[in-house]
Amino acid sequence: METTRPLFIPVILGTVRAGRMSQHAAQLVNLELGNRAGVQTELIDIAQTPLPTNDAGEAIKDPSFSSKMERSDAIVIVSPEYNHGYCGLLKHALDTCLKEYIHKAVGIVGVSAGPFGGSRGIENLLPVMRELGLVTIFWDVNFSSVLKVFSADGSLLDDSYIRRIDKFLKELIWMAKTLRQGREQIPLD
Amino acid sequence: MTTTAHNIICLRCGGEMNHHCDKLVYPTDFQDMKLTDPALGGIIEEFHACPKCGTVASRPA
Repeated sequence: METTRPLFIPVILGTVRAGRMSQHAAQLVNLELGNRAGVQTELIDIAQTPLPTNDAGEAIKDPSFSSKMERSDAIVIVSPEYNHGYCGLLKHALDTCLKEYIHKAVGIVGVSAGPFGGSRGIENLLPVMRELGLVTIFWDVNFSSVLKVFSADGSLLDDSYIRRIDKFLKELIWMAKTLRQGREQIPLD
Repeated sequence: MTTTAHNIICLRCGGEMNHHCDKLVYPTDFQDMKLTDPALGGIIEEFHACPKCGTVASRPA
């Protein structure tokens, strides 16, 4: 196996809503991920991913999004909770790929204005991840009462999130390395 | 890595890809219905990854 190839772990900002606080969370996780040795990352904003809404699934695959998912070894999904669920356009974007995800790790970051940190949206996403062939890690990051976590300009107001993100990313990177080894070296039969 | 005559050659780098997964997928049109395995209720799709460059590929089993 080529050992020098860096891991690629993009961060998907899973909402298109104007004024989204999840953007600050996604930028923070992206920054922390980019500081890790041997990891390349990129922030993917689904609001900037051109997908039609008069069809769905792999028929509307976006070449850029697909290419980044194929190149990835793991992904981070930043998912705000809207009405106890995840953003519908996040699902619309995720459904455009399949082979790109198989046996790759995924970590989910929940965001909410209320006290539960997007946990209900995360729970709703877990069976979707499984069907897409992604392997979920058991660490999440939950941004609760997000208006108190970031200032209006996106500055982090609560440093405890750095440690939570650190634990989350360590697990995600370990899983990404392990699954790359499995995908590329261990045959099914 | 075990190699078989059926392994896919990577279109990007020419490496021999590793077949690491079979997944049941469901037909979404009438053409695909003909490929459905009646015992499994869907189509088995093979997934492959290239050890050299990480490229992925899939094909019906």
